[in-house]
Amino acid sequence: IQAAWNLKTRALTEMVYVDEIDMDQEGIAEMILDENAIAQVARPGTSLKLPGTSQGGGPSPAVRPVTQSGRPITGFVRPSTQSGRPSTMEQAIRTPRTALTARPITSASGGFVRLGTASMLTNPDGPFINLSRLNLTKYAQKPKLAKALFEYIFHHENDVKNALDLAALATEHAQFKDWWWKVQIGKCYYRLGLYREAEKQFKSALKQQDMVDTFLYLAKVYLRLDQPVTALNLFKQGLERFPGEVTLICGIARIYEEMNNISTAAEYYKDVLKQDNTHVEAIACIGSNHFYSDQPEIALRFYRRLLQMGVYNCQLFNNLGLCCFYAQQYDMTLSSFERALFLAENEEETADVWYNLGHVAVGIGDLNLAYQCFKLTLVNNNDYAEAYNNLAVLEMRKGHTEQARALLQTASSLAPHMYEPHFNVAILSEKVGDLQRSYTAAQKSEEAFPGHVDTQQLIKQLKEHFAML
Amino acid sequence: MPEGTGALREVLPKQGTGGEHRPALPAQPAARSRPFSPFAGQLSMEDTPAMVLCKPKILPLKSVSLEKLEKLQKAALEAAQPPESAPPPSAGAAPPRQ
Repeated sequence: IQAAWNLKTRALTEMVYVDEIDMDQEGIAEMILDENAIAQVARPGTSLKLPGTSQGGGPSPAVRPVTQSGRPITGFVRPSTQSGRPSTMEQAIRTPRTALTARPITSASGGFVRLGTASMLTNPDGPFINLSRLNLTKYAQKPKLAKALFEYIFHHENDVKNALDLAALATEHAQFKDWWWKVQIGKCYYRLGLYREAEKQFKSALKQQDMVDTFLYLAKVYLRLDQPVTALNLFKQGLERFPGEVTLICGIARIYEEMNNISTAAEYYKDVLKQDNTHVEAIACIGSNHFYSDQPEIALRFYRRLLQMGVYNCQLFNNLGLCCFYAQQYDMTLSSFERALFLAENEEETADVWYNLGHVAVGIGDLNLAYQCFKLTLVNNNDYAEAYNNLAVLEMRKGHTEQARALLQTASSLAPHMYEPHFNVAILSEKVGDLQRSYTAAQKSEEAFPGHVDTQQLIKQLKEHFAML
Repeated sequence: MPEGTGALREVLPKQGTGGEHRPALPAQPAARSRPFSPFAGQLSMEDTPAMVLCKPKILPLKSVSLEKLEKLQKAALEAAQPPESAPPPSAGAAPPRQ
């Protein structure tokens, strides 16, 4: 009967198991009230919070869209992809928190929505294991049962404190010689936010037994403590013990990407591909880098490889369509986009596809179609700042200045990190003669993207004009 | 000469006012002081700043974990849909819907 119990426990866990290495949902409270920061102002290149200068080069915001934190959008998104550390509470609330929708939620209900509801899903008549009545000490002494039970509590019930108790008892029982329990305790501490303790546990587990997973968990701790350089060194150490290990190289690449060092990240992704040429994340990231470096044909090759591997979703077809269009393979473009629309699972994805179709329409010169596409984008997602901006440009071409101005205002309030709406407001105001507004807008545009030559020229012109007055 | 400028204007992608003066602003000296020669091809382009479009978006692909998470979240939301019929969860967490 014990075997059956064991099996059922593990089956239930497996249903909701998400690899803890990937799981990394930070609540708003944790982001804003972070006490783990070591330095008040980190030196450039040593902190994940300040993407700072793009030291590694790569496409500028003039070519590649940026996210709210100022980082260029990546080719791949994981549960732990940081959408950036917002500087104000307001921005934090606006940042999309869940994987599904863009609605913000607090740290309490966070990703632990599966807490409790997992039980509801699997056992409509009540929980399989009643935690409050469990005698943890008894289970701690039976290592095989204890391990299954721990995973159940940790993943299925999401009850970290009980899990921690069990793990502590079990590791005592094993006289601190079992590396597995140390890692589990480390995971519990990580979830509870006790990062230094987690670090200690993982380090001690590493001393006993070199395991790739432990390296990955420890690196996660360092990243949460905003110590990317330490994490990088750790990965390099891990690579000495496990040469060629794909997950470690991938980890390094991700860190460089987070630090906005795109060219180094690309090199490491290429290394990953040398080891494992079916690695979806690496292919996607390199593909998007090539697209934004003005090499859509190469990007197309990468995305076709993904298609060959059997990846079949809306994003891939959207990217294929874009690459085909810009690589001038017009036969494939529209069918890819059609497929993308068909595969879209929610309105946000549909909005993205219509937005890109609008770009294609602009490219072929069919401005009416472009107008309709951007409007459809807004129908599907009312907060699509880029669509507002592009609609404004189209309206300007038709001469509807006031409508353009209203659209640009919406765009710039929805996405203050983008330089395009600000720049367009500046141009528009200058055409109309409203130089003061033009100047303020141009300044905002410069803040968002200091390297934009046109903005700088505009500001210079305006300054000269003001000086003449 | 007018044909020359006209031909140039069609080729120019920017929607600037080809060659018009803008009395309100000091003229860009570089474009103006160069001697105009219709037979020498395109020497300079008056750089009237045009509005910029936002860029096409390459959509990031989702990892397997993320997809599973989304699936779980969706299932959880759906399970919470008829909240009265389902028994309260034993772990005592706040329901996802406020």
